[in-house]
Amino acid sequence: MIPEFILRAILASIMVSVLLGLLSPLINTKGLAFLTHALFHALLLGAVLGMILALLFNSYALVTLVALIVTIVIVLIIAQLEKLGFTPDSAVGIVASFVAGLTVLGFGILYKVMASRPYFPLTENILSYLTGDIFLITLNDLAVLILGGALIFFVLLFLYRDFLYLSFDPEGLESYGGNARAYLMILYVLVGAIGALIVQTVGLITLQVVAVLPGAIALMVSSDLRKVLAVSLLLTLTVQLSSVVLAYFTAIPPSGIATIMLGVIYGALLFRR
Amino acid sequence: MTAVEAENLTILYEGKPALSDVTFRLDEGKTLLLLGPNGAGKTTLLKTIACFHREYRGKLLVFGRNPCDARYLIGYVPQSSSLNERVPLTALEVVAMGGLYRRGFVHFKIPEEILRKAEEVLTFVGLGHVKNRLFRELSGGQKQRVLLARALMSDPKLLLLDEPLSALDPSARAEVTNVLSKIKSEKNVTMIITTHDINPLLEIGDLVMLINKRLIAFGKPEEVLTDGVIKSVYGPLAKVIPVNGKLYCITGDFHIHRGRGGGL
Repeated sequence: MIPEFILRAILASIMVSVLLGLLSPLINTKGLAFLTHALFHALLLGAVLGMILALLFNSYALVTLVALIVTIVIVLIIAQLEKLGFTPDSAVGIVASFVAGLTVLGFGILYKVMASRPYFPLTENILSYLTGDIFLITLNDLAVLILGGALIFFVLLFLYRDFLYLSFDPEGLESYGGNARAYLMILYVLVGAIGALIVQTVGLITLQVVAVLPGAIALMVSSDLRKVLAVSLLLTLTVQLSSVVLAYFTAIPPSGIATIMLGVIYGALLFRR
Repeated sequence: MTAVEAENLTILYEGKPALSDVTFRLDEGKTLLLLGPNGAGKTTLLKTIACFHREYRGKLLVFGRNPCDARYLIGYVPQSSSLNERVPLTALEVVAMGGLYRRGFVHFKIPEEILRKAEEVLTFVGLGHVKNRLFRELSGGQKQRVLLARALMSDPKLLLLDEPLSALDPSARAEVTNVLSKIKSEKNVTMIITTHDINPLLEIGDLVMLINKRLIAFGKPEEVLTDGVIKSVYGPLAKVIPVNGKLYCITGDFHIHRGRGGGL
């Protein structure tokens, strides 16, 4: 009999793999790796604000919700800065510096609030945000992940071709009647929403690696789009599931194992080249 | 009918003029070759006509309309080097892009009729046999022809081509020039082509415009391409040589491609 928490971890891994497997090639082709770095800051700020509100209103569900809203607002600000003429890297750099400063301020407030409230469960929550702990995922978390993930998956899938064209030639897309700005905004919102949904399972520290490497590896082994997507999906699924199994026996956080596995595969491919 | 009309057109970037006081008229079906040194404002003018850039003073009409209202009549062909070739798209998918965005926002699957038309247009530019090859794996001349095919997907009345011969070897230049000539003769499309090297395109050019931050000369090739005009822009070494009744323009202004180690 498989323990329930393992089943929850496996289901969460499958959802995370489907989302990252599909998103990762886009992150690589569109050059959004630095944006995922900004996601790290945005999610941390969102989580800290969410934790403050969770303590004040005694509702832990607020953490994910606030992290999601803050992240989406921040990626939209980045997209707007790009629209105003900043390069993507500059836009991320400007926003990330403000967000990092606000996060430190937020931590200061959080410590004060924690000192006045029963804070032990929340301390665990902070840790699971940083390292990700798929075994601590509750049934409620899983339901949010699967329902939210399914919605994002279908939006991403149906607009995938448009996102590819956006990455290939945004000016061309605009000149042939498309709305490049709208596609960019939607893509950024999806990236932010995926980050917020999976952060509890993947962890902030490793989020960027697991979002970037599967696509980078898939693009190294194939140039056919269908194969790229298949490799990215299968690779993410294999790594996520094996890390859950290995973590169960070794008691090491699965996100760490997944990151190391991806790093080894990427390094081996680079070395072979 | 007049395809493009500009009167006292001054194009601005952040309030400062990038190209000043340009006046010209291009009739439908004619081909205009836009010549000028680096930074002269060629691409700026092209992008303003294409409605990518909207900061300008003066009058600019495309088929009697504001450029942004005439967008559906325009096919813009960028330099292939400005595209993100990491995206694994086939030649057919790139061409289909030109016909997808007139309708709908979600394009999960390319409709059959657009695929059929994309194949026809690819065949028109002589590339039916490479439709399933990745865009990035094509030669420079083939890429440029794919981009031309993409622009033709929307049946444009005005084609704007930004340096279509740039970075191409002589045989690829000939391929692209042949396709441009075919478009001119079979589709009666008005074209504006920016170029550094005007010679390969003189066969298809009805008019030549020479700019360098302002309009230097505009007219038929034999009127514009004179020693005096060319030297005023490119310096004393530039010259125009008539060869067998054709003009050959030496400006010394070419895009040079360096191989590994910096050799030519």
